[in-house]
Amino acid sequence: MMDCKQYRAALLAEPAVVSADMRAHADSCTDCAKFTQRVAAFEGRLAQAVRLPLPARPPRWYAFAASLVAAVGVAGLLWLAVPRASLAGDVVTHMAGEPDAWRATTTAVSPAALEAVTRDAHMHLTATTAGMVSYASSCPFRGHQVPHLVVQDRSGPVTVMVLVHESAQVADNFDEQGYRGEILPMPGHGAIAVLTRNQNLDAAALDRIAMQVREAIRWTN
Amino acid sequence: MEVDLTMRSRTGEKQRHARFQALCQSLRPDLLRFALWLARDRSLAEDVVQEALLRAWKAEDALQEEKAAKSWLLTIIRREYARTFERKRLPTVDLDELVASEEPALAGGEDPNLAELRSAIYRLPAEYREPLVLQVLMGFTTAEIGQQLGLTTAAVLTRLFRARRQLRSLCGEDVSQDPDDDGL
Repeated sequence: MMDCKQYRAALLAEPAVVSADMRAHADSCTDCAKFTQRVAAFEGRLAQAVRLPLPARPPRWYAFAASLVAAVGVAGLLWLAVPRASLAGDVVTHMAGEPDAWRATTTAVSPAALEAVTRDAHMHLTATTAGMVSYASSCPFRGHQVPHLVVQDRSGPVTVMVLVHESAQVADNFDEQGYRGEILPMPGHGAIAVLTRNQNLDAAALDRIAMQVREAIRWTN
Repeated sequence: MEVDLTMRSRTGEKQRHARFQALCQSLRPDLLRFALWLARDRSLAEDVVQEALLRAWKAEDALQEEKAAKSWLLTIIRREYARTFERKRLPTVDLDELVASEEPALAGGEDPNLAELRSAIYRLPAEYREPLVLQVLMGFTTAEIGQQLGLTTAAVLTRLFRARRQLRSLCGEDVSQDPDDDGL
């Protein structure tokens, strides 16, 4: 038969696990029954306390998309392809309106200008990891200001848009209106779009650049 | 026929990626909370979780069963956090300053007791805080905590017991009737 000391030690280690021995002891010991009530009340507060409030994040389409996928299964997944395709289209349309961004140059944007653009998006870009950034602008895109960067890769200028407000479930390649690119999911932070006008750049190179940029991003909120 | 098989295979792969992505999204809030309790620093925790999810995304094929995902991701987070210390020696911090700087995160809305309890959890030694958070936040069993931390079941039980005893004491609970370790 368990004594009070053993009962209380076991309860404090695993309050949610009550063995038959423990139940028998609590049924026959008034003090330990009261002790159990106090521990249970404390445990309720503890369960609440460990769930730290998280910073408010921009609303994300994927939360809706994910619940839809759960609800309608495979049909839902096919439906998800539609917004991805139009996202690529919107990115291409945006690029076409910024011809200056495509200049091949050896001049890097100033760290202050880069910082200003990325700070607004609650991120920091480690420029040396990302490659030389020759253009940085905060651009309106689908109702949000998003960082639009140009990284000078050895294959030529590559444009990167950081799309924290968008959703991408899987990596997606596209080839539209003379632009080739990839939309790459960033777990927990939307997606990035990487584009080039260099038709000789293969998918592996695009993927390499996208991963390089993605790994250079640090979130500050 | 060959084209059809290739398309099916690509569709299957996309569906698998989508499931994995959705899984990561659903687990991310608690993974971030765990990292916050571990690192006691918001930006460091964000970095650790981001790096860990990137690593997980690259090594997705290593995950054999979805039900093992939480444990697998936690292992990656703990390793990533350890790597942070390998890369650079983080400065030691004053606990009072740390608690003050994390005030908004610790705040319990209308309940001041909740804020006090969160401060107390922060003040627990890491060796007690981590198994406690794994148990209460992540819902791990004693055996699973042992596996995660490389401890025997008995060692985990001792740490959990000590964690709660210290926590109750820090929160002004009556601990006069609490037993010593040898009760375990």
